[in-house]
Amino acid sequence: MPNRKATRNAYYFFVQEKIPELRRRGLPVARVADAIPHCSADWALLSQDEKEKYADMARAWRAAQGKESGPSEKQKPVCTPLRKPGMLVPKQNVSPPDMSSLSLKNDQALLGGIFYFLNIFSHGELPPHCEQRFLPCEIGCVKYSLQDGIIADFHSFISPGEIPRGFRFHCQAASDSSHKIPISNFESGCDQATVLQNLYRFIHPNPGKWPPIYCKSDDRARVNWCLKHMEKGSAMKEIRQNLELLTVEDLVVGIYQQKFLKEPSKTWVRSLLDVAMWDYSSNTRCKWHEENDILFCALAVCKKIAYCISNSLATLFGIQLTETHVPLQDYEASNRVTPKMVILDAGRYQKLRFESSGFSHFNYSNQEPRSNTPTGDYPSGVKISGPNSSVRGRGITRLLERISGSSSSVPRFSSCDTALSPSLSPKGGYKSFSPLS
Amino acid sequence: MTGRARVRARGITRSPSATAAGCLQASPTPVSADLSDNEASSNNGFEETSRISQQCKDVVPSGNAECTLMKRGGKIFPDVMDLGVCTREKLAHVRDSKRGSSGIPVKLVTNLFSLDLPQDWKLYQYHVTYMPDLESRSMRIALLYSQKELSNKAKAFDGVILFLSEKLEERVTELSSETRRGETVKMTITLTGELPASSPVCIQVFSIIFKKILKKLSMYQIGRNFYKPSEPVEIPQHKLSLWPGFAISVSYFESKLLFSANVSYKVLRNETVLEFMTALCYQTGMSNFTQMCEKQLVGLIVLTRYNNRTYRVDDIDWSVKPTHSFQRRDGTEITYVDYYKQQYDITLSDLHQPMLVSLLKSKRNDVEARMVHLIPELCFLTGLTSQATSDFQLMKAVAEETRLSPQGRQQRLARLADDIQRNKDARFELETWGLHFGSQMSLTGRVVPSEKILMQDRICQPVSAADWSKDIRSCKLLSAQSLNKWLIICSSRAENVIENFLSCLRRVGSSMGFNVDYPKIIKVQESTAAFFGAIQKHVDPDVQLVMCILPSAQQNYYESIKKYLSSDCPVPSQCVLVRTLSKQGMMMSIATKIAMQMTCKLGGELWAVEIPLKSLMVVGIDVCKDAFNKGMVVVGFVASINLRITRWFSRCILQRTTTEVADCLKVFMIGALNKWYEYNQGLPARIIVYRDGVGNGQLQTLLEYEVPQLLSSVAEASSNTSSKLSVIVVRKRCMPRFFMEQNRTLQNPPLGTVVDSEATRPEWYDFYLVSQAACRGTVNPTHYNVIYDDNGLKPDHMQRLTFKLCHLYYNWPGLVSIPAPCQYAHKLTFLVAQSIHKEPSLQLANSLFYL
Repeated sequence: MPNRKATRNAYYFFVQEKIPELRRRGLPVARVADAIPHCSADWALLSQDEKEKYADMARAWRAAQGKESGPSEKQKPVCTPLRKPGMLVPKQNVSPPDMSSLSLKNDQALLGGIFYFLNIFSHGELPPHCEQRFLPCEIGCVKYSLQDGIIADFHSFISPGEIPRGFRFHCQAASDSSHKIPISNFESGCDQATVLQNLYRFIHPNPGKWPPIYCKSDDRARVNWCLKHMEKGSAMKEIRQNLELLTVEDLVVGIYQQKFLKEPSKTWVRSLLDVAMWDYSSNTRCKWHEENDILFCALAVCKKIAYCISNSLATLFGIQLTETHVPLQDYEASNRVTPKMVILDAGRYQKLRFESSGFSHFNYSNQEPRSNTPTGDYPSGVKISGPNSSVRGRGITRLLERISGSSSSVPRFSSCDTALSPSLSPKGGYKSFSPLS
Repeated sequence: MTGRARVRARGITRSPSATAAGCLQASPTPVSADLSDNEASSNNGFEETSRISQQCKDVVPSGNAECTLMKRGGKIFPDVMDLGVCTREKLAHVRDSKRGSSGIPVKLVTNLFSLDLPQDWKLYQYHVTYMPDLESRSMRIALLYSQKELSNKAKAFDGVILFLSEKLEERVTELSSETRRGETVKMTITLTGELPASSPVCIQVFSIIFKKILKKLSMYQIGRNFYKPSEPVEIPQHKLSLWPGFAISVSYFESKLLFSANVSYKVLRNETVLEFMTALCYQTGMSNFTQMCEKQLVGLIVLTRYNNRTYRVDDIDWSVKPTHSFQRRDGTEITYVDYYKQQYDITLSDLHQPMLVSLLKSKRNDVEARMVHLIPELCFLTGLTSQATSDFQLMKAVAEETRLSPQGRQQRLARLADDIQRNKDARFELETWGLHFGSQMSLTGRVVPSEKILMQDRICQPVSAADWSKDIRSCKLLSAQSLNKWLIICSSRAENVIENFLSCLRRVGSSMGFNVDYPKIIKVQESTAAFFGAIQKHVDPDVQLVMCILPSAQQNYYESIKKYLSSDCPVPSQCVLVRTLSKQGMMMSIATKIAMQMTCKLGGELWAVEIPLKSLMVVGIDVCKDAFNKGMVVVGFVASINLRITRWFSRCILQRTTTEVADCLKVFMIGALNKWYEYNQGLPARIIVYRDGVGNGQLQTLLEYEVPQLLSSVAEASSNTSSKLSVIVVRKRCMPRFFMEQNRTLQNPPLGTVVDSEATRPEWYDFYLVSQAACRGTVNPTHYNVIYDDNGLKPDHMQRLTFKLCHLYYNWPGLVSIPAPCQYAHKLTFLVAQSIHKEPSLQLANSLFYL
């Protein structure tokens, strides 16, 4: 049925989303076409960023259409963000993957591929009529690959600048209900241009193509706005053109599709990314949030994305989970379980790890053969966590021993991948962190 | 610990409006700024008609000649809209009479007063246009009011629409007048409608009339209610003063027009912001004074007594001083000092104080919000600080004043009625409109018989239906799963209380028939991460329940534990504060309460009541706004799945919407029917849905949007005979109050009092039921409105069934104010909205894991 339906634009998706509300108002809208006249006013009120969300949906739809339209187009590298050649780090000296080749080869390219997860927190969101919509206050970014887990991370507080007159309460309340970063007189805040410069050096230390950056779809408008806002003060406008902000949800869909050639459900993807189990894992939040025991941390959001993807997807590729993939060290703690009393001393383990893996901002391990050797010094806030080879794998081996030894002490992890697991039993020898394993 | 107490202890109500890192509509939560009733609730009461009157005020002439009040009424007056929803006429079995007959008649006094109108009373609506057109509303009004033709007529005018109680001679009247500048303005007054007294527009006009009358009694409108600053109740030891006042409404009840009034109080602090700042400055010193000041003051609600308006402090502007000038609306510049001198005759004493900044709500979203500068010296703090609400003595003192007994309430009402009738201006106003303020209404209600509580081994007749915990102390619960494998996670501080608690728990458990084994006790450090880590490490699929002994009432602990254990890793969890377990004297009753909760969480049943209807499924639905993300609404659905109505199926979903209307009822209903089928090998013959959380003006939407969802799912479930459905809207907040006269004093009506006449509405199949006990103050009746009814139950049966269902809330051994399924749904949505923020796991749907 080619050309039966007209192409769907951003407005189409906006109207589609509005239909339930219109029905509730009692309007007789059966199809999008009926609802179109009722939505134009609301559409006009949307800001450019808000419209962008629907434009994305339209783009995704068009991409999906293109894929379904014929087998010859199946290999088009527009389907998912993953297939974009820019995904690969330029220095890797591996040519962009040829999608028509064997699955194994694809896997390897995918496994080595490096992604950046980025998040920026704001002191609330100001209403549309304000020129300044967000007040960036914290940034977190993580360099990740399926193969190696988290390779490096970047974190910094940002000084939000002057709070628009009259919005102090609003910003304060928004901050208090989430990340709790003080809105004024916070010493750790760095100035925006510096932070941005450091971020760019973290993501893109060498000239060449920019890797794609991912964030959760809910945060995309905010992160985008903040990046734009922050570069106003710096002289890096031309760089911004190259920076591409994509959504993690699409990334997961992409990886899944590439591996299993079918599309996962939206709910599954969402539940995969929204788990509470890593909330208090050590070495996940930034130091300030950890010390103050506050859950909302920009760095933690990024790291948790990495953990979730490792836990649910990387295992499907047969990758051994290491401490860089998920915070294993929390789960291999003492095994002295007496029937009546268990003494758990979380602080002790934290101290141990502190000593072993090093907490310095500039700790960097060269044992990572695939990662780029930095040409210069790393900007402040960047942390490269390369685990010692002696540490690597220890966790999973011990874990496996315990699993085979006594089934009762298997750490019970997220059940979110139950939807996935029945159809895809993990390959022999590798275990995924799932209750079904 | 009751639910509310626990919430308070956890500090949820205290947090300064937990707003999402998102939207601006962060409604400030002044902690109990408005003690609108005997229940010292922190919610702002919805007092119906006073809202109308406020909105009437906001009706600004838009210049659109076509626009009539009725037309705008579609958006503006939601509760009047509800009155237009005539559901009763579709229900054949109650068309003639919706009154029940069982029970003992009881004579009740109400807070309703009759308003008498002449038989042929009519309201005349005129449209007024000006030539040349005038923008200023006050100018329009002034010109019209200066006309001789209208001077001694009763009139209400908003700048465009004029209401008169008498008809003008001509259909179109042309008048001309001169402005102060000498311009001649022609006014054309055109008759647009003659409205009978039953028209909804008249109700609005009556509200405007009463607003005027209360003003004449020197009462001021603050928010929706009217307060009398001239007779404050002082609580000097806490530097508080209370302004007495009323929430009023005028509306058509069963047979006639009635005026209703409820006592309300405004809590004010006898302290200006400037005094507060000075005190703070002495306390903290100059160095970080500005910071502290911002921290303490931003977000508070202040009242300016010169105009009796409330504002939220959004910011403090340290750069502006009272000697600075600002631009007035007409363009001239004036200093703040001079302005207050001229306008209000107030002399400012401190000329160096900074200014408070408040954002005024913009009427439309796209327009930039206006900011006002306020003088700290003239701003009085209102409401209670978090510090104050946790001060038991202070709250007690406030409660003593605000929780009026029925007798005290009656005195206040009688005085208001007296004032209205005696005040010359007020009486004149009423008379020119042709209204007559009549007597207080009394009516006859019925007290339905009390219920027996069915336990496993015996049937007990409680001494008081308000609390039967003593009556069932030695009885066995209906069914309880034994607890064999469970965990206690605690900090070392709780070590010494645990042994004692466990032995108590086991003792009360065995007498209840709830077998509790020794748990595995895990000691961790006092940190959220340690608790969380311990749970992750030790909870495996065999664990039946996790009990966490929390060292403090921090939200962090509770939220993270609940979030993980109800969605990531579904295991029932029980959180207890160390402090609760340290109360030695109360250990047995605490242990009993906890044992009951744990039984429910494991899927047990505590007690039942006799329900003669066989094969009946009752459903409760409630909605709640998510605390973190204001754009999300949590919809909870709880349905009974056995014949005895003791086991429940609970589901919950987060939906993105602006209105509180549920989208997903079909999925829930089909799920519940499947579950029912699983348990009973058939479908229920009757389904009765209690819907709570319905806002004003949503009745029509409910009928058109939610009822069809329920109907279609019921119809789909079976091909031949489908279950019969009834939908009842439950409302805890309603205007009428009932008092029982006994021994020449007034008392609260007894539990089980039903009112289904006179205070009800003619167009609805509705009734009031008193199903909660108020030990202090006046009891709030609950209003039930049957909007859809296939079952055709007699009103008597419907009322009694509703009363029976109020007995089945397992978190409280006594009657509750709404039917148990509604209360469960409320508890579920509250937990999800406050702590979990996502859908709980389906594996828990068969137990009351959220108690």
